Amino acid sequence: MPQSASHSQLYRIESRNGAAALVLGGDWGGASRLPTSQRLVAELVAARGDSEAPITIEGHDLESAHPRVAALVYAVSQGLRSREIAVAFTGLPASVSSLVALARPPAADAAPGSRAHWLTRLGAVGRNRMEAFTRAAEMVGNAFVATPRLSVGKAQARWVDFMALLRETGASSLPVVTVVNLLIGAVLGFVGAVQLAAFGAGLYLADLVGIAVAREMAAIMTAFIMAGRIGATFAAHLATMEANEEIDALRMIGVSPFEFLVLPRLTALTLMMPLLFLYAAALGIGGGMIVADLVLDTSPASFLGRLQDAVAARHFVIGFVKAVCFGILIALASCYLGMRAGRNAAEVGRAATRTVVVSIIGIIVIDAIFALCTNALGV
Amino acid sequence: MAVLDRTRPPDSGVVVRDLTLAYGSTVVQHELSFHVRPASIFVIMGVSGCGKSTLLRHMIDLEQAAQGDITFDGQRLWTENVAERRALQRRIGVLFQSTALWSSMTVGENVGLPLQLHTRLSAAEIRDQVAFKLALVGLAGQESRMPSELSGGMQKRAGLARAIALDPDYLFLDEPSAGLDPITSQRLDSLIMNLRDALQLSVIAVTHELPSIFTIADDSIYLDNESRRAIAHGDPRALAADAEHARVRAFLNRQSVDASTRAEGDGPESPARSEVL
Repeated sequence: MPQSASHSQLYRIESRNGAAALVLGGDWGGASRLPTSQRLVAELVAARGDSEAPITIEGHDLESAHPRVAALVYAVSQGLRSREIAVAFTGLPASVSSLVALARPPAADAAPGSRAHWLTRLGAVGRNRMEAFTRAAEMVGNAFVATPRLSVGKAQARWVDFMALLRETGASSLPVVTVVNLLIGAVLGFVGAVQLAAFGAGLYLADLVGIAVAREMAAIMTAFIMAGRIGATFAAHLATMEANEEIDALRMIGVSPFEFLVLPRLTALTLMMPLLFLYAAALGIGGGMIVADLVLDTSPASFLGRLQDAVAARHFVIGFVKAVCFGILIALASCYLGMRAGRNAAEVGRAATRTVVVSIIGIIVIDAIFALCTNALGV
Repeated sequence: MAVLDRTRPPDSGVVVRDLTLAYGSTVVQHELSFHVRPASIFVIMGVSGCGKSTLLRHMIDLEQAAQGDITFDGQRLWTENVAERRALQRRIGVLFQSTALWSSMTVGENVGLPLQLHTRLSAAEIRDQVAFKLALVGLAGQESRMPSELSGGMQKRAGLARAIALDPDYLFLDEPSAGLDPITSQRLDSLIMNLRDALQLSVIAVTHELPSIFTIADDSIYLDNESRRAIAHGDPRALAADAEHARVRAFLNRQSVDASTRAEGDGPESPARSEVL
């Protein structure tokens, strides 16, 4: 292990007849910490005083041409030149001299430009937001125009892709939808059972679980699952295609990326979400029924009988319509954010994350709008 | 970090002995043997699919060979000693074909990360090192830009700056001029030669770009994708004129094999092992 050299052995600053010099020496490979270039520049400028003579960097005493020497010599010379101080080299090893000569200083236009005025920056942000809004509106408009084309078989989409998407969004999602909704129904049932039993109103557990699941929880929980599972997948896939110029390649052969990529995803998710909702609602109610049986000794027959009386079909219809809206939202958000991603690996991850965040916020907002509307309509 | 005034041991440079590259039961190349001299540029050439990049991935320890051995200055690459293996890896710099710059980091962070992880330099000295390495490749002052903001040629140079961040002894380049215009490609070739001279690097480049091969190569090997062996070794300028195999002449003169055979008379087509070592 080489012994660490002290700073005084590695460099010293001399003042000779008014001219400053940085004299380098010793073995720089063994030094653990070296002086920073800024410190050396400051010391050299101070040693130079008012002299106009160039500052000399000397390397006669260097024991090895370690790469750290070349980097430091370059940094010090650049620091001095930026203050319009001339630099001369003497006695540097050939390998260090050639490396320093090879390093090209920054071009005059490489310096970062001055920060734009705040109004300019605000305008740029506004313009970007407007552009994003326009593109989002364009995608929604495309959905209205292209969906009839798909229904009559004229869209530029592949049947095999559509079937694969139906399987991915539908059948492949069943396990996670099953687990989550069964447990949500059970949790609702347990919380409700404890509270209702305190008032001797355990019979009404079917009302609580049935309405909550059919009207709210099944649609919302399924939408959250689909946003995380399918929305993120769609966004990442499309962002990767964008990064690999696959979407440009589609455009170049005259294929509409919307019809080929977005429409099948939009249709698959819009079709599958309400079906998954019905499945989720059945499971959620089943979870509540199991808890009612275990905690309140309410038989499944009594629970279902009460459910029939208490939960009107309109609650299922509201949940069903919400599920359709959530499906459209997740599909459009994921496709939009995926296709708008930049062309690098980091953007793929960002597109997936944004999709989940936007979808979850959108789901809550849509649910709130539904609550206001149904309340106003008295349903 | 290494010292620039390098003293070389007798078996210095990279020595590849009887290396057989295979993916499962599919052999990509049989029994490759060659020697890369210190401070020289060695080009691995051949048509697409012949196993050039596979050979490079083996030489940088991203793949393990089915058979054979590689030594760097006498030190075995595939040693059981993990510490030795890691120390050797730190002496190797790689410019990947796609540059593989980390897209979430700035150019300066890309070059500085190996220094942060593998040295005990202070933050100020790492800043100086990054500025210096970027200046060496002609990207001075570009530290704060993101890779996506750079042109293809600039990305290659940024990748090169990252590859030499730790002052390696060996620099591996995978298709360095692929996708670049002739002017940018020529500048990159000059830069590679300058870095070889200034840093005393042993450069191993995989390429099938003929102008680059003739400009930078001190020595070369031709991997044949039919016989799956190295069928030529030497200065590519000499090989273009008098290579034993018609396929090598055809490759280096941009001719079809038939034209090359007609022009020079039939060369022996039976695969032969490279005569190096």
